[in-house]
Amino acid sequence: MKGVVFNLLEDAVVREHGLLAWDGLLEMAGLEGAYTSLGSYPDSEVIQLVDAASAALGLSPSEVLRWFGRSAIPLLHERYEMFFTPHKSAQSFVASINDIIHPEVRKLYAGAGCPHFHFHDLEDGRTGMAYQSPRRMCRLAHGFIEGAADHYGDRVEIEHLSCMLGGHPVCRMALDWSR
Amino acid sequence: MKQEAIPLPSELAATVDRLERLVQREREGRLQAEAIAERGLRELYESQVRLALLQRITDCANRSNDFSEAIGEVLKEVCEHMNWAFGTAYRVEGGGRAVSCDAWYTAEPARLFPLVEATRERMFASGDGLPGRVLRDGHPHWIDESELATGFCRRVAAASCGIRSVCGFPVMIGDEIVCVLEFFARTAMIDKDAILLTVTQAATQLARVIERERAQAALVHDALHDAMTGLPNRTLLDERSRAAFDRLPESREGLAVLVIDLDGFKAINDKYGHHAGDIVLIETARRFNEVIGARLGGRRRGDNLGWRATLARVGGDEFVIVLDALPDPAIAIDLSGALIDALKAPIQVADECVNVGLSIGIAHSGQAYASVEQLRQDADLAMYEAKSGGHGGVVTFSEALGNERRNRMALENELRDAIREKQFTLYYQPIFALGGDEDKSERLRGFEALIRWNHPDRGLVEPGRFIPAAEAGGLIVFIGDWVLRQACNAMARLHRSLTARGLSASELPYISINIAPQQFLQPTFSAHVHRVLLETGVPPELVRLEVTEGVAIIDPDQTRQVLEQVRSWGVKTSLDDFGTGYSSLSYLQNLPFDTLKIDRSFIASMDDPKSRKIIRAILDLASNLNLSVVAEGIETFEQGASLREMGCEYGQGYHLGRPLDEASAFALVWPEGAADAA
Repeated sequence: MKGVVFNLLEDAVVREHGLLAWDGLLEMAGLEGAYTSLGSYPDSEVIQLVDAASAALGLSPSEVLRWFGRSAIPLLHERYEMFFTPHKSAQSFVASINDIIHPEVRKLYAGAGCPHFHFHDLEDGRTGMAYQSPRRMCRLAHGFIEGAADHYGDRVEIEHLSCMLGGHPVCRMALDWSR
Repeated sequence: MKQEAIPLPSELAATVDRLERLVQREREGRLQAEAIAERGLRELYESQVRLALLQRITDCANRSNDFSEAIGEVLKEVCEHMNWAFGTAYRVEGGGRAVSCDAWYTAEPARLFPLVEATRERMFASGDGLPGRVLRDGHPHWIDESELATGFCRRVAAASCGIRSVCGFPVMIGDEIVCVLEFFARTAMIDKDAILLTVTQAATQLARVIERERAQAALVHDALHDAMTGLPNRTLLDERSRAAFDRLPESREGLAVLVIDLDGFKAINDKYGHHAGDIVLIETARRFNEVIGARLGGRRRGDNLGWRATLARVGGDEFVIVLDALPDPAIAIDLSGALIDALKAPIQVADECVNVGLSIGIAHSGQAYASVEQLRQDADLAMYEAKSGGHGGVVTFSEALGNERRNRMALENELRDAIREKQFTLYYQPIFALGGDEDKSERLRGFEALIRWNHPDRGLVEPGRFIPAAEAGGLIVFIGDWVLRQACNAMARLHRSLTARGLSASELPYISINIAPQQFLQPTFSAHVHRVLLETGVPPELVRLEVTEGVAIIDPDQTRQVLEQVRSWGVKTSLDDFGTGYSSLSYLQNLPFDTLKIDRSFIASMDDPKSRKIIRAILDLASNLNLSVVAEGIETFEQGASLREMGCEYGQGYHLGRPLDEASAFALVWPEGAADAA
C-alpha cells in the first residue's frame, strides 16, 4: 500500500480526533508509524490500523473504511485539486477514476497497484460498479463515492449487490445518482 | 477515541504546546518535501514518456524516406500521447497554400467522421483558417473553446465531434514552412509548454524526412535530367517513350519520334570554345521548350487532353522529341518547321552572334514497329538523310529509306565477312606521261591501286558499289589499311625484280594509293604509313597518297601535319578529284601536295568550252604552285591529245590503259620481263 494512503488516514484521524489519537492508534496496532507518501508499506499495516480503530471506536472495520474514504475526499481535494476542477458533478468525477486519476497516480508512484472499477448501466437506470481486488476494500470505495457526493453537493445512494467480504468473487455496487 | 483533557500544570502545558507546534512544523515540512518530490517524480515520468515518444518518432523518421508514410505514424503517436481526438497534416505547395495531404489519425474514426470529412482535401491560402494562419505567421497557433465556437471555419463539424480546442504547428526546413500539423482535442489544451516541446520536436523529425525526400527526389531528378539544359536525359526519354509505346492503341498509330541534330555546332565549339557551345545548347533547349509550350497551349505533361511532348537532350548536340497521343501526323512536321524557324534568329555568344541549323528526322509509329527503339533508329536514319543533304531540314522516314538502310546493313555485314575472308583484290591502272612536243608517245610513270571485291556470288564488284557502305559503317579504315599494305607490298616486289634487271631508279613506276578521309584522320595514320614503308621496303618516293578535299574540310590542321610528316619521309601526296567539291584555293596554298588530279568529269565534258577553260585554269594554277597534274578518265585519243596540247603532263583512263590485275599491269613496265616471269 502506498504511503499516501497512510498519510491520508493519519490526517483524517487527526482532523477528527486530535493529534494524539493517531499516536494512540499506532500504539494499539503495535506499529512504528513513520510513513511518507513516497514509500510503500505492507497492506497488513493498514488492516492493523483499521482493526485498531474498529476496536477503539466500537465500529466494524467496514464502517471504519467507509468513514475513512468519506473523510479522505476533502484532504485529497487539498492535495490534488486539479483532479476535481474539470468536473461539475460527483458522477463525472467518479467516472474519471480509471482514465484520469489512476493514470496520474501511477505517474507519481511508480508501481502503484490501483484497482480497476468497471462501470456499466444497470437495467433500472442506476450505475453499476464492479470491483475486484485482493485487498477487498469495497467499503473504502463506498466512502470515497460518498465523499465525492459531499464535495460536489450531490446525493448518491449506494447498494452493495454482492460483496467479496460475503464470499462473492466480485464486489458489485449500484450507484443511484438520481435522488 | 478523543483523548480526555487532563489538567496539566501550566509549565507542562506550555511544554506540550511547544511540542505540538514542533510536531506540526515537522509535519508541514514533511508534506512540503513530499510535494516537491512528487512534482519531481511527475516531471521525470512525463519526460520519460515524452522521450520514449520522441524516440519512436525519431525511429520512424529514420526508417522512412517517404513523408506520406511517416506522417501517419507521427500523427498517431502524438495523438495517443496527448490524448487528442484527431490529428492531420497539410503540405505547403509552391503557391504558398497549405493543401491537405489526406493524412490523418483518430482513434475513433466513426465519431470523428464529420471533422475528418471537413478536413480531407481542404486547401488553405496563407492567412485562411488555422493552417493558413500558421503558414502566414510561421509559428504555432492555438484555438480555445470560445474562439472555436465563433471564429473557426470548421466549427460545425468540430462541435459535432465534441472538440473543445485546436492547435496548429509549422514544420520548417530552415526558414521555409513545408508542412502544417493540426491537432484537435476534446479537452482544453492547458500545458502549452509541454505541448510545444513535444510537437515541435516531432515537427523537426518530420522536417528531416521531407529533407531526405527532397534530397532523394533531387538525386532522381539529376539521374534523369541533363544538368546543362535541365531537359530529360536519355534514361528518362527511354522510360517515357517505352511507356508511350506500350500505351499505343491497336492501330499502333499516334506516336512520333523526332531526332534533331544541330548543324554547325562543332564549328562553334571549335571556334569559340566549349563555353560558347554550352550557351548555344542551353539557348536551343530554351527555344525548343518555348515552341513546344506554345503548341501545347500551356497544357502540362500529364494533362490528359490531346497530344503530349517530351523534349530530351540525348547527346552532345542531339535532341529528341517524343510526341505522344498524336491525333494527326502533320503535327510533327509543323512542329519541326517551327523548331527550325525558332533557331533562325542568331544566338548571342559572348560578343558574337552565331547561327545553327537543324537536321530533323521524323518517324511515326505503326504496325511495322515492335519496339520504340526501332522507331528511334528510323528517326535517326531520317535525320542522317536530312543532314546528308548538307543544308539540314526535315525528313520523314519512309519505306524506301528503310529499304536503303536494310540493303546497306546487309552490305555492311557482307563487307565484314569480306574483310575476314580476304575477298578483296587490287587492280592497277597505269598512269602515263602524256609526252612533250617532241615525244608524242606516252610513257608509263606509275599505277593507281584500285580495289575490287571478289564477291563469292557476284564476282568482281567495283568500289563505287561498296565503298560508301564501308565508309558509313566505319569499315573503310580496315579496308584502307589492307589496300595500303597490299599495294606497297606489290610495288616492293615489282621494284625488287625491276632493279634486279638493272632498271635505274628514275625509271621505276610509282604507286598511287587512295586514302579515305576516315582512315587519313586516324591519329595513328602516319605512324601506320611509316610501319608499312619499313615492313614492305617500298621506296617512299615511289608511294603517292591520294586524298580528297574532304579531309581538309574536316580537320585542316591535322591534314597538314600528316601530309608534312609523310612527305618528310619522301612519300608524295596527291589531291584527288580536284575541281569538284569546294576546290578552295586556300587548301592548295596551305597544304603540301605534289600532285593535282583533275576530276574525270571535266575530261568527259572537254567538248564544252567551259570545261576546257576550267582545265586550263587548273593547269595554270598547278604550274604556278609547282604541282604536277594528272588528268583522270581519259577515254579517247582526242581527249589525250587535247590535254597534251594544253600542257597536262600526266594522264590515266581507259584510252591509255584499263585497270588490270597485278601480273598483267606490271607486265606493262617491261613486257619481256613479264613474259619471263610467266
